[in-house]
Amino acid sequence: MSGRLKQFFSQRGMRKLRQDKMAMGALFVIGCYLILALFVVAHLPSPEAVVMRVGPDNIPGVFGTQTAEKRLSDAEFRLEALQRAVRTNDPETSLAEFRMGDLRILAGTPKAVESRIEGGWKAFEAVAVYDDIEAEAVALELLENLESEVAALFSPPTGFTALASFLRLSLGTDRQGRSIALRAIYSTKVAVQIGMVAALISVLIGTLLGAAAGYFGGWVDHLVVWLYSIFSSIPWIVMLMVLASMFRGSRFDGGLIPVYAAFCMSFWISPCRVIRGEVMKLKELEYVQAASAIGFGHLRILLRHVIPNTAHLMFINFSLLFIGAIKAEVILSFLGLGVKDEPSWGVMINHAKAEVLNGFFWQIGAATAFMLVLVLAFNILSDALQDAFDPKHV
Amino acid sequence: MWSYTARRLLYNIPVYLGIVLLLMLALRVNDPANAFLGKNANPEDLLLIKERLGLDRPFLVQYFDLLKSVFSLDFGTYSWANEGITVGRMLRESVVPSLSITLPALILTSTVSITIALISAFFRGRRIDRALMVLAVVGMSVSFLVYIVFGQYFGAYLLTRETGYSFFAIGGYESGLANWPYYCLLPVLISSLVAMGYDTRFYRAVMVEESGRDYIVTATAKGASKRKVMFVHMLKNAMIPIITRIMTTLPFLIMGSLLLEVYFNIPGMGRVLYKAIQEQDFPVIQIFVAIFAGLFILSNILTDVLYALVDPRVRLS
Repeated sequence: MSGRLKQFFSQRGMRKLRQDKMAMGALFVIGCYLILALFVVAHLPSPEAVVMRVGPDNIPGVFGTQTAEKRLSDAEFRLEALQRAVRTNDPETSLAEFRMGDLRILAGTPKAVESRIEGGWKAFEAVAVYDDIEAEAVALELLENLESEVAALFSPPTGFTALASFLRLSLGTDRQGRSIALRAIYSTKVAVQIGMVAALISVLIGTLLGAAAGYFGGWVDHLVVWLYSIFSSIPWIVMLMVLASMFRGSRFDGGLIPVYAAFCMSFWISPCRVIRGEVMKLKELEYVQAASAIGFGHLRILLRHVIPNTAHLMFINFSLLFIGAIKAEVILSFLGLGVKDEPSWGVMINHAKAEVLNGFFWQIGAATAFMLVLVLAFNILSDALQDAFDPKHV
Repeated sequence: MWSYTARRLLYNIPVYLGIVLLLMLALRVNDPANAFLGKNANPEDLLLIKERLGLDRPFLVQYFDLLKSVFSLDFGTYSWANEGITVGRMLRESVVPSLSITLPALILTSTVSITIALISAFFRGRRIDRALMVLAVVGMSVSFLVYIVFGQYFGAYLLTRETGYSFFAIGGYESGLANWPYYCLLPVLISSLVAMGYDTRFYRAVMVEESGRDYIVTATAKGASKRKVMFVHMLKNAMIPIITRIMTTLPFLIMGSLLLEVYFNIPGMGRVLYKAIQEQDFPVIQIFVAIFAGLFILSNILTDVLYALVDPRVRLS
């Protein structure tokens, strides 16, 4: 097998592909995403960190600016959170356990903390009386004063935690105060998972059926063509919706299984079509006739001699279907049929709809940017694969 | 020619029978009446609703019943979610809104992307060609949903806020040609923008392939200018794959803008089907999907026949 692999990697198309700088760059980017996905699998970030509140809602990322009004309400949010912690039955422990992202409360007795919170509220009221804070310099100054006073209530994270905290807030927070950066990174895993599984299974089904149809012809061919004609006559979006309603109420509802099933059912068609055509061509070649003259069985010829020669088509289709799966996931999330238990780029974009109307672009921007880079890399790779192995394709 | 058409028709009959069979099986995995009425439905209601649609009859009888109603175009079944409204009426009312988005979008996308592809192929390998192709690939890599969200924000929301004049509706639909630009132009533009990347790349590839053929060399050799070769000789021959591509997108005219319809609240076929699935409105789902698949097959046959007209070799294979 290793000899075969070596042969595959040294063939002309592969050499051409390796000389293509764009393709190698795309492969590098895809590799980075895979490593990122592995980190998520190793719980960095963990599933809990992704749903945890790390600050007020919709705060912008590093270079973003906020309106004075939003800054005021953020300060209010922080004060209220502290107050809730102080006013419990057991303020000692609740203060010690208090976390807002990586922020803790500055050490001190509950009494001392409470009086400082009082001071914070006074500063808050001083600003709150102004109707239009941005118009008046005094109000802006008071607002800054309030912010520094609120900041003084927390002990800032140090060392590694500070870096983690910076990363967490680097792309801002969503409407529930969760870290957009962490959610976008976590979604990489979901995207890679969906892409891998859906594309792999579809290519496998498509190759097996397509090769069988092309090689044996006759009623096998008719059956396969009949099958893919059926599946291709229903648009995938409609098929997805029907399938999702099929899974509704079952124990798979909300998980990834219905998504995989729906994708595979519509995605196997294109590899099947292409490979059927290629195998029909291949089986007329001399080497297949020679193999059959030697007395090899059909199965052996098909698996050892014909299918390996369609490997390039499998790669191209895998790459294209990977893109298809990632993009389709977004649409499924929008229709409310996609992933439900985990964040994904589709879930993020879907949640960001309402934020966009308020002029908050960080969530949709982050999800789109993460997705864009990966899909772009796969697009470039598919083009390069096509150029290298299948140059006559239009 | 007629025999070819007849063959195509005959060939597609088992395909359609298969579709309807599969569709009906898929929809009956969860008992549709149960799903519609919810868990706490009383048994009498269940029986009543089953009887009304004949769900208590043997499967084969139901199968032929559905086929009969599709082939005789008789959709008198009542919707479950909308009392007193037949599926046929829902169909009639939703076709026009759907077409008023997809048809202009198809025309706009095709003309613009063929033009861009021509420009790109004309300047093949030069900076403008490369820039256009990079743009197309980047455009392809952004999700449909992002286009819609930003399109609505900038086109309908921000534009209205900044100019004080409402050019485009945020959503909704009213019939009539005068209302068309207000409600439909923005979705049409978005939909064209999304499709542009794919189409431009495809058409450019067609033209690049065509420009390598012998007749181009001949035309150049006899002294025709590059422009004349491109627009007179090449475009004519490139028309065959172009027409095929446009024809294959025709069936998607009906359901193609499902996302746009849902997002912009346009009562087209896509949105009706989407709502039916949300509400588990079984008769509507069943008939809509069956009709859609039928239209798809019909337009496939039409494409094949047109193709055979253009290229007689196809007929004989």
